[in-house]
Amino acid sequence: MGISVASLDGSERIVDTRDQTGHVDFALIGHQESWRAAADVLAFLRGPEHAPLPNNEIRDILPWIPPRAVCHVEVGSKVGAKARGIYIDSFIPPDRLDSAFLRDNLARVRGAAQCAINAGARIVSLGGFSSILIEGNFDLLPEKHDTVFTTGNTLTVAFIVRGIKKMCALEGRDLRRSTLLIVGATGDVGSGCARCLAPLVKRVLLCARNVERLRRLASEFEFKGVEVEIATDSEQAGSQQFSTKADLVICAASLASPGLRLRGIAPGAIVCDAGYPKNLSPSAEMPDAKIFFGGLGQITGGMRFTPNFHGILNRHPFPDVVQGCLLEGIALALERRFEPFSHGRGLITPERVEEMETIAARHGIHLAPLYNGDGPIEEGVHAASQQEQ
Amino acid sequence: MESNVDLICSMPGECSALSPTALIWQDVLAQAMTGELVAAMNYTTLAGICDDPAEIADALEHAQSEEGHAAAFAAEGQRIGVPVPSNVEAKHWKRLREAFMRRIAERDFIGCLIVQEIMLESFAVASYARVGRVGPGSLGKTFAAIAAEEEEHIEHAMAILRAERDLDTPRFDDKVRQLHFEVMTTLAEMLARECVHGHCEVCHGNCVKPSLFGISLSAAELRGASLQQYLRTLDKLGLPGEVTLAWVSQLPV
Repeated sequence: MGISVASLDGSERIVDTRDQTGHVDFALIGHQESWRAAADVLAFLRGPEHAPLPNNEIRDILPWIPPRAVCHVEVGSKVGAKARGIYIDSFIPPDRLDSAFLRDNLARVRGAAQCAINAGARIVSLGGFSSILIEGNFDLLPEKHDTVFTTGNTLTVAFIVRGIKKMCALEGRDLRRSTLLIVGATGDVGSGCARCLAPLVKRVLLCARNVERLRRLASEFEFKGVEVEIATDSEQAGSQQFSTKADLVICAASLASPGLRLRGIAPGAIVCDAGYPKNLSPSAEMPDAKIFFGGLGQITGGMRFTPNFHGILNRHPFPDVVQGCLLEGIALALERRFEPFSHGRGLITPERVEEMETIAARHGIHLAPLYNGDGPIEEGVHAASQQEQ
Repeated sequence: MESNVDLICSMPGECSALSPTALIWQDVLAQAMTGELVAAMNYTTLAGICDDPAEIADALEHAQSEEGHAAAFAAEGQRIGVPVPSNVEAKHWKRLREAFMRRIAERDFIGCLIVQEIMLESFAVASYARVGRVGPGSLGKTFAAIAAEEEEHIEHAMAILRAERDLDTPRFDDKVRQLHFEVMTTLAEMLARECVHGHCEVCHGNCVKPSLFGISLSAAELRGASLQQYLRTLDKLGLPGEVTLAWVSQLPV
């Protein structure tokens, strides 16, 4: 069975873009973070000759779209390797990420996984809420044949940690004298970050909803002599309690929408929002905090979408920036290591993070330039305009 | 979910007034009956271009089955005390029929199957299934049962169409693309939130769409379910999902 792409102009013919072997190296499963992002995807698909759909129509139509491939992706490595893949959208509506829609969303992720399997993808990265819904339990996915899955969380952790270190360097902070707060600490990403950074900071504050998991994680660090405190985050009580004490914060909670407020956050605190969707509420008042979006990497060996969704599917102020979880599948495909590198929950160790980061770096996949909602953070870094893509 | 509202007074003779929802159902039944009659006409015409006696018999059998569905809808109208008019000349249905007849003129058996089984039946299966969920008593059961039968029709055609696609995939996909923009554009206009191009010529009074909430339905839900069914049917045929998504995105709303 062929995999073809259509031009968006309905008058053109379908073009077969498979390589000669017909293989799809990787598949990236994602969903849109906001209605604005979803609207942009649909507007692009409609093409310039059709008026964009009104917002109420988008909200009516999108929930009915079954999971499916949206475009093809080709990536290059700085060592000359190439990999071909597809981006599959599960079309989870941006306002239906909460637990009330768990069953439907799980079905969508399964449907998207089936698309990847049908396409013959050798490795599949689960982006955003896809991996949260699966919780690393790949038995929930359809029968896999020759397709392997990775949550991609190891590379996400690598880029968060790398970003924290870079931001500390930019701000002239000494990591060893810092108090680190992790919101969503017992999740796969949160616990991975904790394991990587706890030995490097003065004190760790862990915040999550499940007290038993928190205690287990804290005891893991106490055993190693790390100064640690825990707080359960019911109604954000824990994160509020800790936010006044921390000067480094990683927000890695599985929030269905950006609602986190770190009231009383210390002036000048470095805050990494690593959520997808973002954790931090846009109306959170943190005027003196140094906020950046974490967990993002950049491909330097080239990335091409067919059709050209550049700047639409990857909405960042820099070119070829992608979520770490998706980049993990790409890096493994370039490395020809088709294995479920990240799976389960709470299994991410500093050693695995280093290994993943090394694989990615070998193919020119590095931490993306830092930015936040106001734009680029790093001075002297040129933000590519979307028009240039 | 079944509506709690009785369509006619539960004790015959006690009350002759129609339920407020009866007139909504009248329009829903009229649209469904018209669609079934168009389908019956399409299958009858299709038999005329078939060479294989088995295919002829099959097409005629389908035509008969669609006529049976139309009769079932008429009977449901009678049960709730409303006549069920049909109008195969109504503008949207006429355009759909004409699109089918163009395939007939070209003796394009596969094109006919794509129009009838993939496009029109997807629409029928999804909307009948939705109506079946909210329709009270036998009305709901009739819609649900016909939805299931129509789904069988699709399955039957799928085998023929998959085999045809395997013979020349690009050509087949291109044919589906052309038919999509010809036929689904009309269906999308029928399924739009509002009839922006004037009266549909099937509803007995004003457009029924704004009233559908009265029977726990909405035009948006029927459109969403229909397009979803259509996309899934195309998926089953093997057409690339990214291609069909672009097609559907370009339909009018």
